[in-house]
Order: sequence, then structure tokens, then C-alpha cells
Amino acid sequence: MLPCSWGLWRSAIHTLKTFSRASPSARGLCIPTRAVCDAETIFALSSGHGRCGVAVVRVSGPASSMVLRNMAGLTQALPPPRTALLRRITDPQSKELLDRGLVLWFKGPHSFTGEDSAEFHIHGGPAVITAVLQALGSLEGVRPAEAGEFTRRAFHAGKLGLTEVEGLGDLIHAETEAQRRQALRQMDGELGRLYQDWSYRLKRCLAHVEAFIDFSEDELIEDGVLNQVDSSVRQLETEIERHLKDERRGERLRTGVQVVIAGATNAGKSSLLNTLCQRPAAIVSPIAGTTRDIVETSLDIGGFPVLLSDTAGLRDSSDSVEREGVRRARQRVEQADLTLVVVDSTQLPPDPQLVAAFLQEHLSTVLPSPEAGMTAASDRVLLVLNKSDLVPEEQRERTEGELRERPGLPPACFLSCSTSTGLEDFLTVLQSRVKTLCGDPLSGAPSLTQARHRAHLQQSVQALNQYHQYRDQDLALAAEGVRLALTHLGRITGRVGAEEILDIIFRDFCIGK
Amino acid sequence: MLAQKLHLLRHNVLSFVSSRTGSDLTRRQYDVIVVGGGHAGTEAAAAAARLGAETLLITQKIMTIGALSCNPSLGGVGKGQLVREVDALDGLCGRAGDSAGVHFSILNRSKGPAVWGPRAQLDRERYRQFIQSELLSTPRLTVLEGSVDELLVSQPNPEEPGHHRVTGIRLVDGSHPILSSSVVLTTGTFLSGSLFMGQTTSPGGRMGDAQSCAGLSYTLKETLGLRVGRLRTGTPPRIVKESVDLSLAQLQAPDKQPTPFSFLNTHTRCKPEEQLPCYLTHTTPGVERVVRESVHLNCHIQQDAKGPRYCPSIESRVLRFPGRRHQVWLEPEGLTSDLLYPQGLSMTMPPELQLRLLREIPALHRAEIRTPGYGVQYDFVCPTQLTPSLQVKSTQGLFLAGQINGTTGYEEAAAQGLWAGVNAGRTALSLPPMALSRTQSYIGVLIDDLVGRGVTEPYRMFTSRAEFRTYLRPDNADLRLTPRGFEEVGCVTLRRYKKAVSVRDGLQEALMALQSVALSSTRWREKLGNISLSENKSTTLNGLDLLQYKDVSFEMLASAFPECLSQYFEYSQRLKIEAVYRPHCEKQSREMERIRSEESLSLPSDMDYLSLPVSLSQEVREILDRVRPNTLGAATRLPGMTPAGIIHLLNYSNGNFHLGCGVPLGGSG
Repeated sequence: MLPCSWGLWRSAIHTLKTFSRASPSARGLCIPTRAVCDAETIFALSSGHGRCGVAVVRVSGPASSMVLRNMAGLTQALPPPRTALLRRITDPQSKELLDRGLVLWFKGPHSFTGEDSAEFHIHGGPAVITAVLQALGSLEGVRPAEAGEFTRRAFHAGKLGLTEVEGLGDLIHAETEAQRRQALRQMDGELGRLYQDWSYRLKRCLAHVEAFIDFSEDELIEDGVLNQVDSSVRQLETEIERHLKDERRGERLRTGVQVVIAGATNAGKSSLLNTLCQRPAAIVSPIAGTTRDIVETSLDIGGFPVLLSDTAGLRDSSDSVEREGVRRARQRVEQADLTLVVVDSTQLPPDPQLVAAFLQEHLSTVLPSPEAGMTAASDRVLLVLNKSDLVPEEQRERTEGELRERPGLPPACFLSCSTSTGLEDFLTVLQSRVKTLCGDPLSGAPSLTQARHRAHLQQSVQALNQYHQYRDQDLALAAEGVRLALTHLGRITGRVGAEEILDIIFRDFCIGK
Repeated sequence: MLAQKLHLLRHNVLSFVSSRTGSDLTRRQYDVIVVGGGHAGTEAAAAAARLGAETLLITQKIMTIGALSCNPSLGGVGKGQLVREVDALDGLCGRAGDSAGVHFSILNRSKGPAVWGPRAQLDRERYRQFIQSELLSTPRLTVLEGSVDELLVSQPNPEEPGHHRVTGIRLVDGSHPILSSSVVLTTGTFLSGSLFMGQTTSPGGRMGDAQSCAGLSYTLKETLGLRVGRLRTGTPPRIVKESVDLSLAQLQAPDKQPTPFSFLNTHTRCKPEEQLPCYLTHTTPGVERVVRESVHLNCHIQQDAKGPRYCPSIESRVLRFPGRRHQVWLEPEGLTSDLLYPQGLSMTMPPELQLRLLREIPALHRAEIRTPGYGVQYDFVCPTQLTPSLQVKSTQGLFLAGQINGTTGYEEAAAQGLWAGVNAGRTALSLPPMALSRTQSYIGVLIDDLVGRGVTEPYRMFTSRAEFRTYLRPDNADLRLTPRGFEEVGCVTLRRYKKAVSVRDGLQEALMALQSVALSSTRWREKLGNISLSENKSTTLNGLDLLQYKDVSFEMLASAFPECLSQYFEYSQRLKIEAVYRPHCEKQSREMERIRSEESLSLPSDMDYLSLPVSLSQEVREILDRVRPNTLGAATRLPGMTPAGIIHLLNYSNGNFHLGCGVPLGGSG
């Protein structure tokens, strides 16, 4: 999801003698001037979501002082740097009061990112946070941050020491992972299909314009290719604009920590769901394969919002409905913040020494492959050994001893959904996990994601305008518009490279040597 | 004497050879040896010599130096940009095109100056003559006829397995070796080449030429352990002009006023009225029938199972896109030639069927074939084994350019040849190697794509490969490359440099003059008459702003402000183009800066990615180990590379640098 390239390495170590970097002899002429002042200003919710007293919204970039002036009513002077000031925070357009909170001003380079920065410490309710983020997004030149962007800017500015850089790789990994999970969540469903469809159509438009540019003089490119592109682009613009205007059609993103119950059939997954929500939300029966679709329920665990999903038992089935259920279950596990893998303890090997290997093997069948970022050792998995009441107490204790602090295995809890034995201990573990995840701003602030999508879609539409503007004057510039639109859409759906466009060209047109 | 054993041929065209080089090879050692006299070889030899290196060009036949072995044309969309860039770096092909062109046209004229494609049909004889006389009058350049049998490399250092150093070459006649620390191989399709026609196969790289270089192939594959792949290409039959009924084809006239390729030329050798036309015709269902009926007699096409995505032959065209009309261009081969070249009809079926196929096309219903078409299969060296200076990573001093790197086309070959020659010369003169950025030139895009991603089909330049197409324009290639080519690279002569600098300064002044005239849009309307300006009345616009408008030309502005603008008339077209593109290029400058800084961070070519002590996934390790990117920029463009992986790589390189323990950080460039 995250394009794998940033303008780092400024202080680069070994400079390959690159012809292009050379002398400043080019002066202004034709050589684009080195951009210094056009860095964008970004914002993000820096504290976690979920129940919290105070939320911190960070802003970084050249427009930070403008943001403070506009939203904290600081028309005269900015506050002294790094001093908290209690202000009324208002919407810059409507002047409506959003909250009363602390604002801080950091003059670059004395800030986390090295740029001019500002912080808003506001009340932690979702309504207040959403209102402030939306207000920020409405300011010119200010946009929601991409995952990890603050850290990356700090890195560029040389604000991170060598040891901190060491950790940055892992951090960015976590951030891309979180972004990937989020993207998967959003891509699943109507909205995702809509974006993918736009992206596909835009790719074709670009490929056809490029084919017309590169090949129409030598090859037979059918007449009317460009006219088709004209109408496709227009159609796309209309659809995206309509989508942007019609707020109601925007699918609500699911909020809360996503916890998914997964495991083999008849392990007691639905019983666990019912136990956790203290009501029969899911049908339980001793018949394997009872749950076929995903059962979802909202819960409050230790005060944190949790979206709990029960999934179909994972097994090969000849029943097409069940197969679809299994497919959805696997998909949901990939999107989860936390997966509870339920195992029927009566199926465990009686010799406690063999249990760890058995569970390891079992996890590999339930969890997605390691490149999807989830390993058994990940702190995003908990093992629930259900039906503990059916296992002899002595065997259970010895197994527990074996599994304690076992590297490479997630924490395992014995639990009986029918007698509630072990529930207390399990809830404690679960709560602490959920709490950690909630404190992590990466596990999804939907309003920010929505704002990000909005920004990219708007830029995409603007770029498509460029296509029409230049269509008859300069096709190279018109094509640039389509390319740019695709780049913006690609920030939501995944990047598109030159080779992909060439693939479409060669598939749709007969191009000679 | 060594030279007595060498057969130094003086072809009659080259009557002045003797006066310059004497009858013997005067040296047994050269700074640079270039093997091959095609588009890559000639540019490489000339560039190395311009740099100041004593250079030897070895070719199988002096007579065929500068021969256009396939189509009689140069330039086109994307390719024309390459020609302009080669010319801006003082290469040969642009001026040769101006001398040999018999039909000039700017393709894509209606689609915007960034994608204009300067193109010319050439007179084969004139092209060859120009290149030959140019090479033979180049100081420090000696041309020798011979076949290279062996590439001489130093014994691998036992402590550095797989690493070699070039020491020279040995000719087929078994004479003494000729020594050099830099060798450029531009052997085209001659590496294990085989020719196909119908069901017959014969070894060779080109019909009528000597066999392929078996000794060289052996050295590259066995001694140096280079990975090679196999590619195919082909050429159409040549048709007797008299036998073609041109009244049944559509006449395609050249531009009324030819535009030269070279920044040094104001006009072409061929006068506007002397230009020859091309003709356009189309395939018929009969053509498709002949192809289908002859598939079983056609080895080349049968083996085309995993062919390129585009269609290299008429056979693959009609098989892949059946039921369509395909275009066939009938192109002149020269002013005095009695042949036509049917562009689009490359074929490998047996000759009698080739004739049948041609005659299914109305204009060719009584066509006669002079030489039949044929296919070639040849080895290419996987270019990911090269550095951005086109040197083989594992062999110091060995440079490769042209089809040997998996490209197709004269222009692609010339561009690589020039750059390989530059770096071979620099290496010989103990100067550090240089890379061209993809943000600054199509040559940079070409080389970066080759060495960074490799090829699976013959690589051809398209404008859509260049991210910064609106900046990499044919009109500004001189400004982008010539001053630096002189100041930093050393491959540009003083005369060209002075010219480019004066143009640059003139344009700069003109732009300032344009910006100095500022009026409200109402006043502009009064001055220029009925033009549509979108800005509201009170907005002040300067001349440069105004020139962005479609309906506004420099001439209009100059007539409104003759005192300060009329002196810049000679730049009117360039100023108009600059005004339109400037705002877009400025928008892209941040992205360009990012790519450039990533390109400037090189990765050691001998990095052991599989055991690197950083947390990289096995998948990423394998990708890096296979491709061995030269720079961090190339690494980020690899499919499958992760952002976290990049950070870890950077961090590793950084740490090692700070320790100063002498890890060779891509010193080879």
C-alpha cells in the first residue's frame, strides 16, 4: 500500500557520482527549481482512539502557524514556542466552537519533525476529535498524514539518532502493517469495489492515451480511441464527484479494535462469543459447521470499544455456502487487530510435552502466511483452549506449565465456556491486549482515514480536469492529468507502475517491432 | 610484427585511412578497445576518443561500419528523443541522420512538443559514408578489421572469487593480444546468433556476415559466469521498387520543411524539394491465410510461444490479432536505391511463401523480392549484471552496449554505446564512472530500466516509460545535457558547448524579458485583440504567463513589445514550449529531487544480502540477492521490496560507513 520510496538519504553516505546532480549551472532555465517551500502540511490524531480523557492532534509543516491562527483565534502573535495555552478551538470556516483545549506551538527546527509544528490537546470524545480533524482538513494546503509520515519527516530532518533509526524500520513495518489491515478492511465491501473499479477504468484510460501518444503514428490505433477516453474520463469524474458530495453513501467504517474468533469447526467459537457478550448472539450447536457467515457484535471490554466477530470453522467443505463462509473467515482473520484462536482442549495430545508443537502446527493452518505480517509469535494472537472442563485437571496443569512463556507461541488460556472456569483469567489477558491496541493510534482512526480518502479523491478529480483542459492543446499534458489522477487513486488502492500500463497497451493494441 | 599479421583493410570509401594510421597498427596497447562497428560501437569509440582516450575500434568488416542493417530510418516517438540526447552529448547519429535523411517528419506534431518524435527515412549509403568519414577523422581513434576470438581477463583473485579485470583481446588470427584496461563489447546479435528462414537454421548474427563470435560467448558465459538469456528479432524482405504498384498505396509526404536532428544544424543535406515520399498500404485476409497455411513450415514462429508482448513479425501480428487490417509502410532505401523496405512485414517463412504473402497485398501484387526476410535468435547478457555506467559488475573494465544488453533499435544502441564509451574512456583515464539520472534524460531512463529491472523482451523506448516526460523534451536536450557533458563528463567538444551556452543564455534573457512585460488582462486584450483569457479583468499577467495560452504566440507578443522582444525571434518556438511546460515541470520538481537523492545512494555490488545482519524477510533478501540493485533508488523500484526493507538497508549502509571499515560502497558506480 505504502509506496516504497521517500526522499530520504539527503545526508547520504556515499555519493555515487551522478551526472544529474551536478553544478548549479542550469540556473532557472528549464531546470525545475529545487522545491523547498512547497512541502505539504500534515495532521493526525497522535493519541490512540477509544476511551481517553485527552486526545492530541499533531500538525506539521509550513502551514502550521496558519493553522494555529485560524483555529485557535490567535490573530495577533503566536504563543511562545513550547508553552501550553488554553484557547477556544473553532472551525475556521463557520467559526463554530469545537472545543476548549490546550494549544502548543513549536517553531522549526525545534520540533519532533524539525518543521514548524503545532499540537491541539482536546477532549477525547469521538465527536470532538472528528470535528477538529474535519476542520483541519478543510484548510488549504493541509492534508491528513499518511501512515508513519511524522516519523519519516523527523528522519529526513536528521532528528533521529542512529539508534532511533534502528527502531524506525520496525516502526514503519508496523505502520505499513496497520495501514495494510485498514486498507483490507476498507477494500472489503462496496466501497472497496467502487475504488478498485475506478482504478481499473482509469488505468485503461491512461493506457489508451499512452498508446495513442506512443504508437498512433506508426501503428493502426483505431479511430475514436481518444473520444472513448474523453467520455470515460468524464464519466469517472461525475461518479467520483457524486460520491464526494453524497455523504450518506460513504460507507461507515467500523470502529473499535477488531477482534476475530477463529479456529477449527466445533471448537466452541460461537460459545466464546456468547460467553463474552453474555447473550446468545450466535447459534451454538454440537453440529460442526453451524456458523457459516460472520456474526458481528459490538462490545465494551474494560471500557474500550471492541468489534467482535465470530467466523465459520475452518475446514475443507464440499458445501458451497460453507466454503464461502470459510473464505470470509480467512479474510476476516487477515483484517483483524487481534485473533482469538479457539482450540478444543480434548483434541490436544495427552502428553503435555507435545502440546506446544501441536499448537504451532495448528496455528499455521488458521493464521495467514507469515508474509501477511502475522506470525504465531505476534502479539496479535491469543490461544483459547476451550472445553477445559473435559480435560483431567492434572493433565491441564502440566500442560499449562509446559506452555508458560513458551517462545514462539502466543499466550494460551484454558477456558470452559460452559462452566465459565478460567473466564476471569482470560478476560484479564484480553483486556490488557485490547488496551494496548487502543493506545496504538494505528489501529484505526476511521475519521482520519476517511479524510485521507477524501483528499485523494478530490485531488484525483482535479487532475482529471487537467485532462480536459489540455486534451486539444497538448496531449502530453492531458495524459499527465490522467497519470496524476491514477497516482492519487493509487494511494488508496495500490500503486500503478509504467509496466502495468504497457501491459494494457500491448493487450489492447497490435504493436509491431 | 603484430600488425603484419593483422589484416588492416582499407576500403575504397576510406581512402584516407593510410594517411592517418599508417599501414600498420602503431600500438599494441590502447586505452579503450571497442568491439563492433554498429550503432553502439561507433558511438562508443567516438565518445571514448572525444574524452581523450587512445581508442581502437575492431569490426568484422570496415565496409559495414555505420550500416543500417534493418530499417532505413532513424528517430520516431521516444527514439527521436534519444537521438536528440545523443546529439546533445556530441554523439554521431543525429548529424549522420541530417546528412543521410531523405524524408523528414516530426511525428505526433498535434500531440504536444514533449512527445514530438523527430524521424527521418535515410539513404543507407549516405549514412554509412557519414559515420565512416566521421570516425576516420576522429583524432585518437584507430579502426581495425578483424574478428575477436577471446576476451582476455586477469586470473580471478582467489580471495575474490568471481571477480575479474579486463586486460585486452585476442583476434581470431591468433596474433599477439592487443592490450587494454577498458573493453566495450557491442556485438549485437552475434552472441550465439542463429538465423531462421522457413525450416532452415544457420549460425550467424546477420545474413551475409561472418559467423557469430563463439570465443567471446564462451568467455562471457564460462569464464566470467555471466547469465545470458535468448531473444529473437527479424527483418522483412527487401522489395524491388519497380515491381510495386505504388498507385495502389497511399502517399505519405514528408514535412515541407525538414527539421534537423542535430542542435548544430540549421538545415539538412537533403533539400526540402529533394525529399522522397513513403507509402502506406494494408494487409488483407489473404495475408492471414498464407501465414496460417505456413505455420508448420516456419521454425521461428513455432518457437515464438513465449514471445514478447508486442508483435515482432507479421506472423505474430495476424496470429495474435486475427481478422484485422495491419499497416504496412513502404519506405525508400535511399536516393539511388532501387529497393523498398516494407516496414511491418518482418517474416521468417520460406522465401517462396514470402513472395506469395506479399502478393496478397494489392500494391504488391506483382512484387519481386531482392532478399528474403529472416529471423535471428541471439544471446543477450542479462543487464541487471551491469552498473549504471554499463560496466559488468564482476569484471572491472568490461562494458556492454546495444543489443547485447537486450535492447532493440538503433537509437537505443547508440545511446548505450555513447554512455559505455564515456565510461570506458573515463576508466582508462582513471576518472570515476558516471551515471545519468532518469530525471534528466531518456538515456538515463533506458539505462536505469535495463540495469535496475532487466528485460524479458527486446527493450524499446517509449515516452510512457519516462516519468518526467514533460521535462525530458526533444527541444531542450541541449540545455539538459550539453553544458554538463562538457563541464563534467568531457565528451562534448568546445564548439558545441559554446553554442549551447549561448542558446541557454539567450533563452534565459528572453524569459526575463517576457516576465518584465506585465499588464492587466484587460490591457492585454486591448493590445492583442480577441484572445480568450480566463483570468478576471484586474489580474496582472506577464508575457510568460500569457504565452501559456493556446492562442498566444511569441510573435504576437513581440509585435506588441517589439523594443524588448523582437531580438529573440530565433527562440520563438522554444520560448512557447518553455512557457507551456514550465509550471508542470516545477510541480514535478519535488518528485525529481526525491528520485535523484535515492539514485545518489549506491549499494555495494558484492553485498551478501542472504546473510546481512539486519531484519529483512527471506523474500526480500532473495529479491535483493537476485537483482543486486546498484542504488537505493533502484531497490525501491523493485517489485516486492518493502519500505521497512529500505530503511534497514539504509541503516546498514549508514552504520558501516560511519565505522569507516572500507566496505566498498558501490565505488564502481
